[in-house]
Amino acid sequence: MNLKRTKLLVEPPATATSDIAFILIVFFLVCASVEPDKGRAQVLPRSEPEKEKDKQSQTIEVDLTRTAVILNGKFPPLTAEQFARAIALKLADKTRDEDRIVAVKSRKEVPYSHWMQVTGIIEDAGGVITLQIEEEQTVKVQ
Amino acid sequence: MIVKRRQMDATIPAMAMGDIAFLLLIFFVILARARDDSHLQWKPASGQELSRPQTMNASVVIDKYNVTYLNGREIPTVILGEALKKLLGENPAGRRTVMFKVHHEVTAVYFEPVIEAISEAGGELHHILKEEKKTR
Repeated sequence: MNLKRTKLLVEPPATATSDIAFILIVFFLVCASVEPDKGRAQVLPRSEPEKEKDKQSQTIEVDLTRTAVILNGKFPPLTAEQFARAIALKLADKTRDEDRIVAVKSRKEVPYSHWMQVTGIIEDAGGVITLQIEEEQTVKVQ
Repeated sequence: MIVKRRQMDATIPAMAMGDIAFLLLIFFVILARARDDSHLQWKPASGQELSRPQTMNASVVIDKYNVTYLNGREIPTVILGEALKKLLGENPAGRRTVMFKVHHEVTAVYFEPVIEAISEAGGELHHILKEEKKTR
């Protein structure tokens, strides 16, 4: 007795290709959209005129160098760990918001990662950050 | 003489459907990328105890070439404040979040004026950082 072989489907099902393409694209889109979106909120008071700044004589001043921190102009510069302890001590007895203002002045070469680390330490210690930015002025010499 | 009409094949070429879908999607992907800032090159700085912002009203990026972008478009720092003021409009507090993405090696001379501009425009800064695991 001869058994007939059933014919096998040779062609791929063409109608499924659109679905495959779609699913592939969705997969790649989902993979591509994994971007960092977590971070830290920071409240910075708006800049104020120099006259008002003079009232805050007790403002803590922090000078940032490329790798270290100078607190209230006192040398030697501190490392991040030393600064964390020092600023916590300085802010511990301050109760009013205006006394907790810390003026941060950065040198031009300070990297963002270092700036974020130091400002994070100040905020964690309960300080309120203000930026001291040097304004460029053009002076005409006659 | 009777001429027989040829029977026309009315089936849709299913083989081409995949290509059409693929091209359409590529088109939309390119269109979408032109609007956001995912094409910009920057590596975040590290931070701890990070949180997701509740809203996202604008995005400011400083990439590894020290170039500033507002919502994915290059913008000079001097007009950033004005552009942000227009963008944020009269939004109430809590709806003025500015996602601030800065390459970790960018120096203060570039990022401080941008922070100042955001602050002047009344934006609520949210620094985007990479989670750093606590070391004991």
